[in-house]
Amino acid sequence: MKRLGFYLLAVGWLVCQPAASFALPLEGMGCEACHRLSAEAPPGERKAPDLYYAGDKLRKEWLVQFLQRPVVLRKAGFFTAPGFLAGEPDARPHPVLSEEDAKKAADDLAALKLPGLPTGLVDEEPLSKVGRVKAKILFERDYSCIACHEGINLAGQARGGVSGPSLAGAGNRLKGDWIVHWLKTPEKFIDKSRMPVYRLDEETLAQLTRYILSLKKEPDEWTR
Amino acid sequence: MDPLTRPRPILIRLAIALLGPLLLALLFLACGREENAARPEAPAPPPAPVAEAPAPPAPPKAEPASAETRATYQWYCAQCHGVKGKGNGINAKWLTVPPRDHTKAEYLETRTDQQLFDAIQQGGLAVGRAPCMPRWGDTLDEKTIHALVRYIRELCECEAI
Ligand code: HEC
Ligand code: HEC
Ligand code: HEC
Repeated sequence: MKRLGFYLLAVGWLVCQPAASFALPLEGMGCEACHRLSAEAPPGERKAPDLYYAGDKLRKEWLVQFLQRPVVLRKAGFFTAPGFLAGEPDARPHPVLSEEDAKKAADDLAALKLPGLPTGLVDEEPLSKVGRVKAKILFERDYSCIACHEGINLAGQARGGVSGPSLAGAGNRLKGDWIVHWLKTPEKFIDKSRMPVYRLDEETLAQLTRYILSLKKEPDEWTR
Repeated sequence: MDPLTRPRPILIRLAIALLGPLLLALLFLACGREENAARPEAPAPPPAPVAEAPAPPAPPKAEPASAETRATYQWYCAQCHGVKGKGNGINAKWLTVPPRDHTKAEYLETRTDQQLFDAIQQGGLAVGRAPCMPRWGDTLDEKTIHALVRYIRELCECEAI
């Protein structure tokens, strides 16, 4: 039954596709009905996170998994949805791709990058025990990231605010370099964010980034 | 015994042994809330000394908040303080300390405009309030923060006494 719904949706997008004469990324998959695949697409039509820098931001293995078995990352919904601030998220599940399509889409997404973003900025070595506790305090207290983002509590549960995307599984999902870019220069990725601008010193920036990379909770099934 | 006269390795080991539990204890002051944990009242900090410096000039009182100020509040503040400022935004139920109800005159009468300004600019932690209130000083300029203070005065229909 669920599957049938997805197929109907999929057919729906195919029908609505404008006939493109040259090969675009994710050609014919209907993703641009909600996502922007190019920075030139007007932001007004955005119904879902921008994907034109997906290759900078998201890990490919995660993409392959997510596209076949999507999970809720933004429990309050995407911020342009009318019910966002009212706590009434759109409950429609994300389209599901077959394994083959998911791999193809992940390949295409991995190639979508902003020009010239430096990489190799992050020490990917896991934090020491003490370092992790210190970083947890930065995340949960000093900068109260947890007020808007889910992290992982001492019992191993995802806990925290919901206006920002969940970070409970961010270590499997986000690339370390991109986290640094986001925290330093969010304006490169979004015209206007709801997240406060932080002026972090390099040490704090590195600690927070490594902490976020340590959050690897396996996601639940699609639930809102 | 003066610990400073001891050889360094022991000091370091001591620090590590003490640091863990200490930092864990600190976590209880963190911002995330457990679903079944009792909701602590907002800590009552010692009354901040009334600023000697004159409060920054506020725009004339009668002027209602501009559409821009309201939009700023909806964009940044409503995610915690709620669309109507009642303290019930979408993050509220996940916070250890509830966001202030900006319509409550009984509390807001006890705060000066300067205190509200400082809480917004520097964040809860810097002014003896809960850390869940982020600092907005790097996001919003002073003029915008003054306008938000005036808007909060409009929401509570109150002035500092
Ligand atoms: C009906 C609208 C819609 C369509 C069509 C759609 N998506 Fe999404 N997508 C969303 C929404 C909404 C989210 C955010 C979900 C969340 O955060 O809980 C999302 C999230 C994502 C994410 C995670 C992005 C991030 O930064 O968090 C990826 C990757 C993604 N979609 C890929 C695709 C691909 C590939 C397609 C085409 C096959 C597609 N989507 C089609 C609505 C859509
Ligand atoms: C007031 C709420 C709020 C606070 C506090 C906050 N964020 Fe965010 N954050 C957001 C929102 C909302 C987004 C999504 C972008 C947007 O819509 O503006 C976001 C996006 C992010 C992202 C990108 C996640 C993704 O999948 O796209 C990261 C990483 C992040 N924040 C880290 C942090 C860190 C680290 C802190 C603390 C230093 C923090 N945030 C504090 C609201 C917040
Ligand atoms: C991440 C959630 C969050 C966001 C976003 C947020 N606040 Fe708060 N705010 C809080 C919490 C929690 C408190 C209560 C702190 C306490 O009582 O210790 C608070 C308290 C306050 C207070 C009262 C301070 C006092 O003296 O008791 C003011 C004023 C305030 N916020 C204004 C704002 C404004 C203006 C914005 C938007 C620019 C904003 N807040 C955004 C969570 C938030």
